Amino acid sequence: MDLTVEICGMSGDGTIAAGGILNEAMSKAGFWVLAFDSYPAEIRGFGRCVTLSRFGDEERVALSDKTHALISLDDKQSLSRIPLLAKEAVVLFDNKPPSYVDAAGSIAAHVEPDVRLFGMPFGDLAAAASGSTRGRNLTALGGFAALFQIPPEFFHGVIRKKFGAKGEKVLEANLKSFDAGYAHAREEFKTVKEGGGEFPPKEEEDRILISGNEAISRAALDAGLKLYFGYPITPATPIMEYLARELPKRGGKVVQMEDEIASIGAVLGSFFAGKRAMTATSGPGFALMTELITHGVMSETPAVILNAQRGGPATGLPTKTEQSDLHAAVFGGPGDSARIVIAPTNVPECYGFTLRSFQLAEKYQTPVIVLSDFFLNNRVENVRLPPISEQERGDWNVYPEENQKGRYRRYQMTDSGISPRAVPGTEGFLFSATGLEHSERGTPDYSPENHMNMTEKRHRKIHRALVDLPAPREFSPGGKMDVGVIAWGSTFGSALEAVDIARREGLKAGALKIAAIFPYHGEVIREFMDRCEEVLIPELNYEGQLANLIGHLHRKDVVRLNRTPGMPMPPSVILDKIRGMIEAV
Amino acid sequence: MAEEHFVVIGNGPAGYEAAMTLKEKAPEAYVSVISRNRESCYRPHLLPDLIAGKIPEEALYVCPTGAYREKGVKLRTGQRVAELDLTQKRVILDHREIVGFSGLIIAAGGKPRIPETLLVFRDLMLTLKTLEDAKVWMEKLSRADSVLIMGGDLTSFAVTKALLKLNKKVAFLLDEEAFWPLRCDRTTLEEAAHRLTRRGVEVLLDRRLKSMARVSNRAYEVQLNGDRMSVGIIGAFFGLVPDVRFLVGSGLRIDRGILVNEYLNAGYEGVYATGDCAQIYHPEIRDYWVSIGYDNAVNLGRTAALNLLGGKIKAEAAGESIFEVQGIRVNTSWWMEF
Repeated sequence: MDLTVEICGMSGDGTIAAGGILNEAMSKAGFWVLAFDSYPAEIRGFGRCVTLSRFGDEERVALSDKTHALISLDDKQSLSRIPLLAKEAVVLFDNKPPSYVDAAGSIAAHVEPDVRLFGMPFGDLAAAASGSTRGRNLTALGGFAALFQIPPEFFHGVIRKKFGAKGEKVLEANLKSFDAGYAHAREEFKTVKEGGGEFPPKEEEDRILISGNEAISRAALDAGLKLYFGYPITPATPIMEYLARELPKRGGKVVQMEDEIASIGAVLGSFFAGKRAMTATSGPGFALMTELITHGVMSETPAVILNAQRGGPATGLPTKTEQSDLHAAVFGGPGDSARIVIAPTNVPECYGFTLRSFQLAEKYQTPVIVLSDFFLNNRVENVRLPPISEQERGDWNVYPEENQKGRYRRYQMTDSGISPRAVPGTEGFLFSATGLEHSERGTPDYSPENHMNMTEKRHRKIHRALVDLPAPREFSPGGKMDVGVIAWGSTFGSALEAVDIARREGLKAGALKIAAIFPYHGEVIREFMDRCEEVLIPELNYEGQLANLIGHLHRKDVVRLNRTPGMPMPPSVILDKIRGMIEAV
Repeated sequence: MAEEHFVVIGNGPAGYEAAMTLKEKAPEAYVSVISRNRESCYRPHLLPDLIAGKIPEEALYVCPTGAYREKGVKLRTGQRVAELDLTQKRVILDHREIVGFSGLIIAAGGKPRIPETLLVFRDLMLTLKTLEDAKVWMEKLSRADSVLIMGGDLTSFAVTKALLKLNKKVAFLLDEEAFWPLRCDRTTLEEAAHRLTRRGVEVLLDRRLKSMARVSNRAYEVQLNGDRMSVGIIGAFFGLVPDVRFLVGSGLRIDRGILVNEYLNAGYEGVYATGDCAQIYHPEIRDYWVSIGYDNAVNLGRTAALNLLGGKIKAEAAGESIFEVQGIRVNTSWWMEF
C-alpha cells in the first residue's frame, strides 16, 4: 500500500488533532508513516489547516504530491486540495452541512468525475452519538477507517490515549463519535481496494511515531542538556515546550528569555561555564543571534543553535516551510566567522545530528548550527531510535593538560587549530575570553600578524571538523550518470524518490545527500559531479543557496531548481526536471 | 445578461446526448450533468455482453470521463438530486448544495420493476440495470453454477444468452405475465418456451412462485407450485419503471413517469424530461407513451436539448413494429398500454 491521505478544514475544526490520531493509528496498524501539517499563522478561525499523511508498506522518504484520499471537514477550504487529487481518489465529505451551500461551498461541485465521493453527515452523526458535533472530525476518521478497512481497534487505542486524561465523559464522546462514523460507512459504503484488509498480528514494533521537533528535543535530553534558553517562535516553539516538561525531570532548566539575543548569550555563557546548553529559533530570531554567534566564533565558545527555517525574509511565512536561511547560517554575521552548519534530512537525523552537535560544539569550540526546516520539524515519522551509547553522548571537550597549570594559553596555536579549553574557575587556568581579537593568552591584540594567524587558526579548526561531520551519501549504482541530483534538508527525500522513479524508468540518474553544509566535503562532492553530465540542485529557496555554495565544484554551471511555495518540494517536480534534462542531453 | 446554466439530471444515453447537444448548439452556456452513478455514460444494453465476457468494460462506455471536460461539460458523478425548486429554478442536491439553472432536462432513467407480489423477496433477487449490477452478477456467477430467471423482459433474454455462453445451468420461470407490459398470447409464450428449451434452458411454464429463501451464501431454495428447486442466483427481469420518486412534491405532474407534452416540456418554462423517465403525450392517440431502448433514448435526449434551446420538435413515437429477441419476434406495441 502507498496511500496519501489529506485532512483539510478550517482552523478550529480539529483537523490537526484528527491527523495526529490517524497517523498514530496507522502506525499502530503497522504502516510506515510520513506526515506533515500545514496550518495558518493565526490561532483560530482564520485559515486553512491541512494534514498530509503518507502510509506505506515500506519506508517513504517524501510526501507524495498526489492525494489518494481527502477528508474534507470544510469544503470551502478543501477546494484548494482538488488539483492534488489522484485519479479515482476518494473524497470523504460532510453531506449535511449546517446550512445549504452554493457551488463555492461544495467540494462536490468541483471535483473531477473520476473522483469517488463519499458523503457522510459528520456533524449529525457525532451529535446523535455523543450529544455534540465537536466530535465530527472523529466521525470522519471512523468513515475513513471503514472505507479503507482499517480495524477500529487501532483508532480506539489512540483515542483512549489522547482523551483518557480528560475524563470518562470526554473519552466516551470521542469514542462514540468515531464509532458512529465507522458504523455509518460500513452500512452505506463499499470498501475501497486500497484498504489494508488483513492485519495479521505483528510482533512488538520498536518504531515510534515522532516529529522532528520531538526528535530534536529527545536528542538534547539524551545528550545531557543542562540548560535551554529560548524565545517562542514558530516552528521551534514545540522544542521549548517539550523540554519545559521533560528537562526539569532530569535536573535541567528551561528559561524563556526576553528575546533571541539573550537566549544565545545565555547559551554561550553556559557552555563557557562547562554546561551543555542550546537554543532553538527560526529565521527572524536567528537574525538577532548573528552578532553573538560571531562572538562565539571569535571567543571560541561552544553553542548549539537549532534554526528551524520557515518562509522568509523577516516575519515572512511563519507556518510555511523554506530552505532560505543557508546563507545566513553559513555566512551570517560580521567578519570571517566560520562555524559548523549541519542539516538533517529526516526525523532520525534530527535526532542524530542534534545529539552530535553538542560534541562538535565542544570539540571545535564553536557555535554549531543545526539547520532544519518547518517540514522537518513538524513532520512525523515512525522511526526506530536505537539506544545510544555512552560514547555518543560523551564529553568531547578538549581540556588542557595538568602541566599547563600556571602557564595556560587559552588560544594556543596548534596544528588542528583546537586550543585546549579550561572551564573557568579551574585553579591555575585563568584566562579571558573576548570578542576582541586576542593573543594566545586571550588578551587584546590587534597586530596584523596576530589577526592573520588567529583568523587562519579559527578556519583551520573548522575545516578539520570535516572528519567528524556526516559525509555525503550517494544513492546510485555508481559510475557515470546523465543527471546527478544534489539535495539537502527535507528536499533530499523528494530528490531521492524522484531519482528512484527515474532509474526505474531506465534513466541514468543518481542522488547525493549533503548533510554537512559547512564545512562541506568538497572532494567527495566534486568526484560525484565529475561523473555526472549535468548536476541538478533542487532547493526550497529562490536564490539557490546550496548551489551558490558548492556550484563552483562542477566543471560547468549546475542546474538550479528553486521553488518557494511554502510547501515541501514535490518529487514529481524534480522528476520532470530530470526527464527534461536527460532529453536535452 | 447572466450566463446560461443548463442542468441535466441523469447521465444515461438520453442525458448524455442532451448535454452534448446543448453544449454543441450553445457553446457559451455552462452545462452540468448530475449523475448518481460514478461512471461515464455507457451503453446499458451491452451489460449482458460484459457479463458473458464478450466485451471488456471499456467497450461499454460512450466516452471516457475526460471527454466531458474536453467538450466543456461539467460531469458530476456520485451525486443525487434531493429535490427541485422549479419556481426559483434550483436543483437541491442530497448534500445540501443548491444549483441554480436557467434550463433543466430531467433524464433520470428507469429502475428495475419488481412486481408487488415479489417485493418481499427483493433482497434475494438480482436485477440488471447498471454497471454496478453487472459487477454483482459477475462476482456471484464466479461462485454459482445455476440461475433462475424470472420475468421476461428484453434483458432477460440477453442475460440468458450470456449465462448459456458461460455454461451455467439456466431455469426460466415463464408465465403469461412474464413479458409485462407486453401483451403476451399463448402462441408467443409457447414459442418462447420452445426456443429457450431448444437452447438448453429448463423452462418452467405456467408455474407459480410460492416462496424463496437463502439457504447459504451460495444457494437459494425456490418453492414453486408442486415443485422445489435449489439455485445459485435468482434474477428478476420485469421491465423498467421511471425513476422519478425524488420528484414527488416538485410540482411536476407524475404518473408512472414525468408527464410531458409532445415537445418534452414538463409544464414549466425551460424544464424538460426525456428518455425512460418521461411519459410523453401523443396528440393523435390522446394518451401518453414511454420509450425503451438505446436509440430512442438518444433521439429523445437530443430533441429535449433542441427544444430547450428554442426548437419546436415533436418527440418521435416509436412506431408499432416488430423486432427480434433471441429469434423470437416481439410486438413492441405494448407501450400503448400507457
